[in-house]
Amino acid sequence: MVDDKEGLSKSGMRFFGKMSASATHEIKNCLAIINESAGLLEDLSMMAEKKPPLSLARVNDISQRVTRQVNRADIVVRKLNRFSHGVDRKTQIANLEETVSFVLDLASRLIAMQGVVIKVTSPLSRIMVETNIFYLENMIWKAIETACLAAKEKKQMVISFGTDADTPSIWFSMDAVQNDLMDDLFGSKEDRALMKHLDISIKKNKDNNGFGLLLLKRNPVTPN
Amino acid sequence: MSEKVLLVDDEKEFLEIMSERMTARGMVVTTTDSADKALSILKKESFDAIVMDFQMPGMDGMEALKAIKNLKPELQIILLTGYATVEKTVEAMKIGATDFLEKPADLEALSEKIKNAKTEKMLIVEKQMEEKIKDILQRHGG
Repeated sequence: MVDDKEGLSKSGMRFFGKMSASATHEIKNCLAIINESAGLLEDLSMMAEKKPPLSLARVNDISQRVTRQVNRADIVVRKLNRFSHGVDRKTQIANLEETVSFVLDLASRLIAMQGVVIKVTSPLSRIMVETNIFYLENMIWKAIETACLAAKEKKQMVISFGTDADTPSIWFSMDAVQNDLMDDLFGSKEDRALMKHLDISIKKNKDNNGFGLLLLKRNPVTPN
Repeated sequence: MSEKVLLVDDEKEFLEIMSERMTARGMVVTTTDSADKALSILKKESFDAIVMDFQMPGMDGMEALKAIKNLKPELQIILLTGYATVEKTVEAMKIGATDFLEKPADLEALSEKIKNAKTEKMLIVEKQMEEKIKDILQRHGG
């Protein structure tokens, strides 16, 4: 029990750290562009003092660039804020596809850095589950990370959903996988604690080029 | 003489503004948005310094640093980063990074680092030339 708690909290902390670091890195990039834009305006005004006139089109262009970066940073902050509020409630009702999309959005920089292209195939009907949203996001990220690692050269992944009424599922499939990595999926103490907490089991897919997260009985909720 | 700099960052807007500001300060700037492309450029051209983002899609910062140092050991590399941990900084310095600068960077500080990097590179190249001459003289009994 102590092991499970410790594993769960370690996994959660690691996940929180990784997502926060990625989001703040992106915010820093926005700030760097805003900072250089301010510097460029300063340069231009100094030049205009010696050799007028100052091009208004140029100033307008820089102002638009700043606005773009402020909007971009605002979107990142909103995502980070939503993510942080994931720990507010022990359980809540969540749309599975929306949760996957949110994790992909939140981790988009990390995914791009690994050079992976991910395609999501929507389920035929909405899948609602009652779960701890923060840990579910954590588990989805772990699955994406694992699938990226297991993928052979061509890093393309398809995420799809199983709509079985009792056991909804999320499937991660690659073009080809490294078999040795598929033999010990989610075997760490942290992973096991996370799966136990969420009541999730793992199953390899039929083609052995991916795996599914199966959300067991207590999770499904009938959509409104 | 002006400093010749290769600026590498996946943020295109950052590249545009930085290169404009650096050019206005008398530097000759080439830009590219990935470490892979930077390596191709380095095979054809020579630079006094590279200013490179440490976290970019594709080849990771440490990997890129190793590859550049392998190709051109005398090259001075200044890393730009969102947040540098002590561990990463030490590791990068061991591989051969000349300096670190956190984003958003102060352009005056960066210009200073580029000037220092150029001086350092000239010293290394001079030393290499000296050794080559010594070697030639020894081999030809001069």
